[in-house]
Amino acid sequence: MAKVMLEVKELTTKYITRFQENIYAVDHVSLKVEEGKSLGIAGESGCGKSTLALSLMGYYFPPLHYTSGEIIIDGRNISGMEPDDVRKSILGKEIAYIPQSAMNALNPTQKIIHFIEDVIHAHESHVTKKEIYERARKLFEILGLPESTLQKYPVELSGGMKQRTVIAISVLLSPKVLIADEPSSALDVTTQKMVIKMLRDLMEKKLIKSMIFITHELPLLYNVTDDIMVMYAGQIVEKGTAEQVVFDSIHPYARGLMGSIIVPEQGLRDVKLTAIPGVPPNLKNPPAGCQFAERCQYVRPECKAMSVNLRELKGGRAYRCILSEEELREAYQNG
Amino acid sequence: MERYRKYFLNKLSWFLITFVCAFILNFILPRLMPGDPVAAIVSRMAQGMSNATGVQAIYQQYTELFGTNKPLLQQFFIYVNNVLHGNFGFSLSQYTRTVADVLGASIWWTICLQFPAIIVGWLIGNTLGALAAYRKGGFDKIIMPISIFVSNFPAFGMAIILLVIFGVGLKWFPTSGGYGFDLIPNFSWKFIWSVIVHYQLPFWSIVLISIGGQAIGMRSMSIYELNADYVKYARFMGIKDRKIIGYVFRNAMLPQITGLALSIGTMVGGALVAEIIFSYPGLGFTLLNGVMGQDYPLISASTLIITVMVLSANFIIEILYGIIDPRIKAAQAD
Ligand SMILES: Nc1ncnc2c1ncn2[C@@H]1O[C@H](COP(=O)(O)OP(=O)(O)O)[C@@H](O)[C@H]1O
Ligand SMILES: [Mg+2]
Repeated sequence: MAKVMLEVKELTTKYITRFQENIYAVDHVSLKVEEGKSLGIAGESGCGKSTLALSLMGYYFPPLHYTSGEIIIDGRNISGMEPDDVRKSILGKEIAYIPQSAMNALNPTQKIIHFIEDVIHAHESHVTKKEIYERARKLFEILGLPESTLQKYPVELSGGMKQRTVIAISVLLSPKVLIADEPSSALDVTTQKMVIKMLRDLMEKKLIKSMIFITHELPLLYNVTDDIMVMYAGQIVEKGTAEQVVFDSIHPYARGLMGSIIVPEQGLRDVKLTAIPGVPPNLKNPPAGCQFAERCQYVRPECKAMSVNLRELKGGRAYRCILSEEELREAYQNG
Repeated sequence: MERYRKYFLNKLSWFLITFVCAFILNFILPRLMPGDPVAAIVSRMAQGMSNATGVQAIYQQYTELFGTNKPLLQQFFIYVNNVLHGNFGFSLSQYTRTVADVLGASIWWTICLQFPAIIVGWLIGNTLGALAAYRKGGFDKIIMPISIFVSNFPAFGMAIILLVIFGVGLKWFPTSGGYGFDLIPNFSWKFIWSVIVHYQLPFWSIVLISIGGQAIGMRSMSIYELNADYVKYARFMGIKDRKIIGYVFRNAMLPQITGLALSIGTMVGGALVAEIIFSYPGLGFTLLNGVMGQDYPLISASTLIITVMVLSANFIIEILYGIIDPRIKAAQAD
């Protein structure tokens, strides 16, 4: 059996706003990523994907606060650890993160190599600059980045180069889990493909042991990750293999996401193209019952009355709906 | 490097063009003032003389000496030639003293007053601004309103308030001059103490005014930088907060350095108000006297000093900035 690199149990985190309102942007989320595997997380903007990414690292800054749940990285439970221990022994080393805005993720007045020195010195104190340079040079070579990048300032790099440089820095310390938050959404299609290829390369070359890939375009995950999790209003609404979630989704929201984007990839052409009307709920006052009921075309009166649990199926498959799988499939058959 | 050379040459040529224009204006403008300063000197010299031809002769002699009988264009070339030889001529209002002598005596007062005041104001202001941004909360709520209030004071307002409260009311400090009027400059403790005491009000009036503006600028720059995406990324790569704060304040500081260099460059102009109100014997006060006495060699020379300082400060900032801040360097490439 493969080793589990990251396991999250019922993690809940919240934002506390200036007006003391609680926003539960991650609501009892559980997930598991095994060695050599990748997990995709999809959902519209505002569904809590970025917040989940930040919460997974166990290091919280206001306004984000930990509420409950556990995070276990390669068998080590980090939920109760001191923040400074998390910083020193977990961040960047066990779990690394590529922020959504990787374009601006580098300090504009610092050369790339100097930032790399800071990153390594934050975790290992007795490394010389020469050793660091050599390590960085080797890594950049493996990843096909020019060595001259090291001596440059971020502003001297193109968007795609900046993105790839950030990815390279994130894997400097060979993390067990790499979280990439929408690593491609600000880029043109060609660069997007290059970035995705680079991330898959990282797995193949064993520079990272597992990966979480976040996007708002569910179809993009097909062929990129092994498993997919769909999020809505801070909750998981569907989980399964990429194949299952992309071609055979159970939850009406996941189906809606598949239909809402035109992707000229093979096998996806025959998917009916319909955008989901409406917007996700405001998490300051989430509705009672099913969060998606407001926008669901299969909604029933009882949907808004009771809270809905995640239903676990065999093989790690799960979905959050009061209807049974058969009832849903029947509804889809009838249009 | 090639690009940077081009940038440098571009800035240098602008520096020279601006300098020539300013130099010409510095010469012409004071001389367009109505009135005849030579006549004023002559009437001073010829007091009690009743002989009209005698007065006329003295007048002739002085216009010859100052060159005011020649056409303006010719005067200009003589002036250029003299300036190139470091000769600024005689002061009209304090005749027998040369302009170089008058300015040489006053410029040190200005530099010693302004330079420390600007630096101290800048340091205090930036520290307060950075702390307000970082600590937020109560500190921010107290510091910021005060800073905004104080920075909106006109310079003369602050000088007069200090003068009234600490000079006239509490009588803690003298209200005018650079040292006691009954003393002769020397290195005795008595004299030095007198200088220190006279220094306080003009000094703090300048410091207080600049603190507010600096604090406000630094605070908003720091808040902007603290929320930048690179801060988040650096944190989640496990870099220590102390180090990240270093990045943030360095970046927030860069624009503030421009402000510092500019206030050093405009120091003499900035000195005017405080020096005039406290009759401080610096360049500003001298310039004011020059204007009152229609002393155009003195005015031209003072404004020339101001011009050179402002232009050089700007020039140096632009050149250094291009080196320090890679963002500017990249922008030059376009
Ligand atoms: N700093 C913050 N303070 C308060 N609420 C926030 C903050 N950041 C995000 N949120 C809220 O959390 C929810 C999830 O946001 P986010 O995780 O960014 O979603 P996604 O990445 O899926 O677009 C949104 O409703 C958003 O309004
Ligand atoms: Mg996001």
